Amino acid sequence: MEIIRTQNLIKDYNLGKIKVRALSGIDLSIRKGEFVAIMGPSGSGKSTLMHIIGCLDRPSEGQYYLDEILVSKMPRSALATVRNRKIGFVFQSFNLLPHLNILKNVELPLMYGGMSAGKRKLRAREILEQVGLGDRLRHKPTELSGGQRQRVAIARAIVNDPAILLADEPTGNLDSQAGGDILEMFNNLHKTGNTVIMVTHDQAIANRADRIIRIMDGKIVDGDTP
Amino acid sequence: MAIHLSESLKLGLADILLRKVRSVVTVIGIVLGVMCIMVVLAIVSGMNKSTMTWMQERGGLSKIEVYPNWNYNYAQGGQASFNLRELRFIRSQIPEALAFNPSASNWETVLRYGEMRFRSTVVGVMPDFTIVEEWTADRGRFIKDIDIDENSNVIVLGSNVAEEMFFGRNPLGEYVNLEGQKMQVVGVMKHRYMQTQGGEASFGDNALDYLNERSFIPISTLLSKIDPVSRIQSLDIRASSPEAASGLRKKVEHVILNLKAGKKLFEVRSAKEEMDSMKANSRIFGAIFVLIAVISLLVGGIVIMNIMLAAIKERTREIGVRLAIGARGRDIFLQFLVQTMLITTLGGALGILLGFGIIGQVGKYLQLTVAASFQMIWAALLVSAGVGMIFGVFPAIRAARLDPVIALREE
Repeated sequence: MEIIRTQNLIKDYNLGKIKVRALSGIDLSIRKGEFVAIMGPSGSGKSTLMHIIGCLDRPSEGQYYLDEILVSKMPRSALATVRNRKIGFVFQSFNLLPHLNILKNVELPLMYGGMSAGKRKLRAREILEQVGLGDRLRHKPTELSGGQRQRVAIARAIVNDPAILLADEPTGNLDSQAGGDILEMFNNLHKTGNTVIMVTHDQAIANRADRIIRIMDGKIVDGDTP
Repeated sequence: MAIHLSESLKLGLADILLRKVRSVVTVIGIVLGVMCIMVVLAIVSGMNKSTMTWMQERGGLSKIEVYPNWNYNYAQGGQASFNLRELRFIRSQIPEALAFNPSASNWETVLRYGEMRFRSTVVGVMPDFTIVEEWTADRGRFIKDIDIDENSNVIVLGSNVAEEMFFGRNPLGEYVNLEGQKMQVVGVMKHRYMQTQGGEASFGDNALDYLNERSFIPISTLLSKIDPVSRIQSLDIRASSPEAASGLRKKVEHVILNLKAGKKLFEVRSAKEEMDSMKANSRIFGAIFVLIAVISLLVGGIVIMNIMLAAIKERTREIGVRLAIGARGRDIFLQFLVQTMLITTLGGALGILLGFGIIGQVGKYLQLTVAASFQMIWAALLVSAGVGMIFGVFPAIRAARLDPVIALREE
């Protein structure tokens, strides 16, 4: 079953008078449970593609089906709901809220999903225990190491049980030891049935994926179908 | 699946506590504005209250006074005084009046009793004085009709006069000497008392003490035996009700004008109308101060808006993260609007506390009666929440409209 399917995705940016085409006709399909790496040099359009896949942005033209729902034409508020239910983001710079403890950080997606305070606390604690941080619930992100912070971010990404996990250079800010642990976590998540899409420029990391999609000048040059 | 208002409140409160110094700076304008409103409202309502009390003490709102018109040009002829015949005529023209009392004062009179002397203001009155002034003798009796008819040598002493001349002995039935006439004391007036506003020390603490130094004799006795030169220049009339006072005032004015051949020798004033114009004045006064307070709240609101805009700029990345994990524009809007309203309402509450704290001091300093009320608290809270709402909307809309991609890129 295809979890992601795009048809002729085009994204134009208007920079004053100049129109810049960031994506020029992306046809892509990703199956449920796949582990996919997206590679490409900077300026290739891979960030734009990731934003569209993550429903943070909408294509100028073309269709995007996520979990068999056409999301490319959805209004902003509906996209927010899709992000909340279907997508788990893991960022290079973690993007945890520094003044909230890690339990509260992990609770956030559940809060925006409308879950009651009691339930989401239980659920967030369960997930944090799963990533090995059950004894640090009241710690602030600044009191943790980089690797631990990224584990909190992963916990936040999976707490809503999303359709896809979208990771943007998740090991970019980590030393090799911590980076290895995080990749191992993604491997395990993949093995337990999660769909993982990882943007990276590191060939060694990309090699761990089932498939590598290469992007150049706004087009897929390799790996567009499973 | 919007988040609940209680979540927004919790978020807002947490943000306020996290940034305490900023929060305090943000609301200083609101705190001061609300404090000013509290003090002004307390002063205005205190002034109304004390004006009312004063009016009541001076004879209530149905009282009408007639006194010489000081602006009258006497080159046109006429005399600003009444004789007994004219008084009877005026009285006969206004049968609906509850009471009618002319008074002639002899300001420079000394009363003697044995070796005792007392400088008292002796007032020539008619029996209706007790109704007009709502004040009578509480020992002995007051002047009666028969005293007027017979020019009796009787006197009713003010409480201070009786106390100082008789040292607590019973003055009733004793004779005092007034300008060579032996006057029998038939009564002592009830002691009058009203707390001086602001507790000013130099005049003692009784604003009505001058009344306790007056003495009263029949007006006919005054005119025929004591002081033939004295003239009746003022009348006190009592309408049946405050509402009837205005109509009666016009009628009295008309009667006197006819009596004096169209010459405007007298002013006729109604306490009710006086009171109304005083109230109108205090309303204008209050409105000006409320306007000033509103301007200070507006300035406070603009400060808040700027600080919120700066805060949102600073927290762009946080907003981006929240959007990425599923917050809708509406959730972000509510988060910041509720936070702004919470902060201004807390500021308003602080202003109320401070206002109550200084109202008493302000009253003492300005020697004014101040009156605080619960309505003021509600008004102040409502106003401060309203300021938060008005000036929080624009920053909140800004935050809600942020593009998640751009917001996440923000450092």
